Amino acid sequence: MSAKHLELDRKVIDRYTDQPSIMPMEVRRFIEDSWGGMPVQLYACADLDESMSLCERWVAVGPEHVGVAWQSADSRWKVRTFPRVLVRQVHEIPGLSCTVVAIRGTPGAPPLATLRYTQRQRRAMEAVMFLIREGETVDLHPDGSVAADVEYARHVAGPIKEAQAMVAANDVAVLRRLLGYLKPYRSRVAIGMTAAAFVTALSLVPPYLAGFLIDRVIRPVQDGGASADAVATLAWVAVGAMAVVMVIRQLAGWIRLRLMSFLGEYVARDLRSELYEHLQRLSLSFYSRKKTGSLITRVSSDTDRLWEFLALGVVDVSLAVVMLIGLGTVLISLDWRLGLLMTIPVPFLCLLIFLHGRRMARLFTRAWRKWSRLNDVLSDTIPGMRVVKAFNQETREKARFNERNADATRNFTSIHRAWTAFWPSLMFVIHSMTVLVWVFAVPRLIGADGQAPVLSAGTFVSFLLYMTMFIAPVEIVGQMARVVNRATTSAHRIFEVLDTEPEIVDVAEPVQLHPLQGRVTFDNVTFSYDGIRSVLHNVSFDVQPGEMIGLVGPSGGGKTTIASLLARFYDPKAGAVLVDGVDLRRVDTGHYRKQVGMVLQDPHLFHGTILENIRYGVPDAEVERIIEAAKAANAHDFVCRLPHGYDTMVGERGQNLSGGERQRISIARAILSDPRILILDEATSSVDTETEARIQEAMDRLIARRTVFAIAHRLSTLRRASRLFVIESGRITECGTHAELLANPKSMYRRLYSMQQEIQHAV
Amino acid sequence: MTLKTIPLRAFGSRVTLQELVASPTPVLTLERRADGRLWAANGGEPKPVTAHRCFPWSAPTQFVSLRSDDGTEIGLVQDVNTLSPTMRAALMDELAVAGFVLSIQRVLDIDEEIEVRTWRVITTQGPRTLQTGRDEWPRELPGGGIVVKDVAGDLYHVGNVSLLDTKSRKLLWALVD
Repeated sequence: MSAKHLELDRKVIDRYTDQPSIMPMEVRRFIEDSWGGMPVQLYACADLDESMSLCERWVAVGPEHVGVAWQSADSRWKVRTFPRVLVRQVHEIPGLSCTVVAIRGTPGAPPLATLRYTQRQRRAMEAVMFLIREGETVDLHPDGSVAADVEYARHVAGPIKEAQAMVAANDVAVLRRLLGYLKPYRSRVAIGMTAAAFVTALSLVPPYLAGFLIDRVIRPVQDGGASADAVATLAWVAVGAMAVVMVIRQLAGWIRLRLMSFLGEYVARDLRSELYEHLQRLSLSFYSRKKTGSLITRVSSDTDRLWEFLALGVVDVSLAVVMLIGLGTVLISLDWRLGLLMTIPVPFLCLLIFLHGRRMARLFTRAWRKWSRLNDVLSDTIPGMRVVKAFNQETREKARFNERNADATRNFTSIHRAWTAFWPSLMFVIHSMTVLVWVFAVPRLIGADGQAPVLSAGTFVSFLLYMTMFIAPVEIVGQMARVVNRATTSAHRIFEVLDTEPEIVDVAEPVQLHPLQGRVTFDNVTFSYDGIRSVLHNVSFDVQPGEMIGLVGPSGGGKTTIASLLARFYDPKAGAVLVDGVDLRRVDTGHYRKQVGMVLQDPHLFHGTILENIRYGVPDAEVERIIEAAKAANAHDFVCRLPHGYDTMVGERGQNLSGGERQRISIARAILSDPRILILDEATSSVDTETEARIQEAMDRLIARRTVFAIAHRLSTLRRASRLFVIESGRITECGTHAELLANPKSMYRRLYSMQQEIQHAV
Repeated sequence: MTLKTIPLRAFGSRVTLQELVASPTPVLTLERRADGRLWAANGGEPKPVTAHRCFPWSAPTQFVSLRSDDGTEIGLVQDVNTLSPTMRAALMDELAVAGFVLSIQRVLDIDEEIEVRTWRVITTQGPRTLQTGRDEWPRELPGGGIVVKDVAGDLYHVGNVSLLDTKSRKLLWALVD
């Protein structure tokens, strides 16, 4: 797994930056030699020297040493190492683009090492500095030799991978995989492609028939060489054939369009379902890495863009190429001189269209920028209208808007200027080619220097008709690069998600805890989100069924992480979380989560009615039980006052409920699902005092007979807790009942409590 | 540049903003010590400080805030040029690092992908390849010039776009005015 990640990360670094994708072997060996063979555990690149020029320096940490390697003027590597025990302080001074970190030993003396680096190295460097500072708490990879490379590459490639899904991809492989989605519809694809090929082939027939009619029917009759009656049948057969070809062509065209658009839709549907199912399987850590907006567009816009490509793009592009080859062959075989005259410029025309596309992209970029400047004014002033009016700045805002509006318009007109000039010019070139063809054809049609005409009128008419057919495929081939590029990009964004493995997976034969008692044990749990900085250090506790535990302490201390581990959103890096004595890694996650309830600070209500929201966890709950739950949650009264009662639409675009109201609905939801273990994450922090009292009342009903973990800033809400854990920087520093903790004059809890009391008295 | 006087009419009298935030300005001392840090004292005990420009772009040599490691302001230098030469040199050294940004001399290529724009540039500090978001634009600075922020957070400065070579300007055309 990590080897695969390393490979991708290295590709990203090679392609998008100018620094080595791992520490050069030579440097690494050099450092390890200077340490008497001890391994490099973690390293980073410091890319600025004393004169603030870009350079390549390496800082590495081993079990006992820190080493800094740099290149001297004769490009030989030098290394300076010092034992880790000397390090007293690691001091970072962040600047705009340069961070200076000084590793200090004796206070007042020059630092052991000073490193300067740009933001690009920041993550890798922070990991290294963290290891130097708090070495013993870092849980390193079992596979030590690769770990340093994996960590370095991951940190450097990180910002680029977060900005763009499609990194260092092989377009051909992506395209092949995308086309693989057509497999279940093999027969439809075959029919569609055949129909399309038919359309192409048949469109070559009418011009030929037109030439045939002129040479074999019309001219002989008009020249008096044949009687009208003799050739009439032939004429009507030709016209009839033309009609039949037209009909078949339209029919085949209809089949092709219909089949392929349906097909594109099916494939897009399959991809959407697969993607959505996969998103539901993925662990929460994935969601903390990716922006929600980007995931939504992947499911909606990217799959839609693929429809366009599969339904139209694939066929259009492949047939346009076939069409151009076919036309060229036909023209050259009709008359090779005129044929060559027509076909030689075709690649240049394609190139012209391609270049035009690139130019338009630049124009669009500029116009897009102007457009977003215009939008900025709107999104600034419309929500901030009160401020604008309060400071009487309407005139200035109007001027600002008008200036940007005019600017945007100027750029849009230059786009129009560009395309309106390009296409007529292109047509002019094509028409000039036609004229040129006439210039060459006339002597051969009428015969020059007393020689007989060598080119028949019919052939030439066919020729002219074929020429008109060049334009469409030329256009398509010119834009081919863009179409394929867009499709592979979208496909890659989708495949990236599909290829992400969920981190939380059930074991082969998971244990179902049934019935769950609610005993929760943390056994030496250590956890970190990024693999380096531990958020929890060796946390151990044992909670009996029915206990209520209050988690208090400064934010960032690890309270929410404990709750997330309990819900098995993540697995601990070391130690174990046990419920009823069973390691959570061995339980059936789905079954277990059904018995765990959560009430969060800002409860999320889904788009739907209040009824549907309350019974989200138990879809078949009876209405009576829902009303009971709502009553217990103190929600029934306000729901009844709403004009639509329990049928009121909430969530996005629904009725606006206050924070306290949404909170009570989420409590009703939790009461109804009757969990054995309940997690309350700052459930009352965003409501006023009166609402808080009502929620508190509801909460008291909710927590009865359950194991409860409550995170709260307002300590008064934890008065019912049987025990309180004070969590500070990932450790439980105090533990006891409210009274016990207050009795200790030095306790953090006492300090927090008296501070809050003072504030309340002041208010 | 001076702070504007903002009239606050309190019972008919005029209070200036300077009076509101006024702090006595004892003698400020600055020195670089053997530990490599800038130490400042403003009446009290000297402390190691970091320097923060209040107006990094619009007035880089004015209003430099000196802060100790716990974030307390030790002093505010109104104008770097009024300091003694040694103190100024010490402060400018600190600012050269704290305010460091890469400076673009030439743009070799700008390549657009679906979500990022990859730039290959020559900076005063050396060649560099960087990425910006497709919908991120260079920021026009109050003191003229532009600054580009890449996905990792590094800043790249162009003092005057019109002084760049033709190719660089052509590549930048869509992105800056």
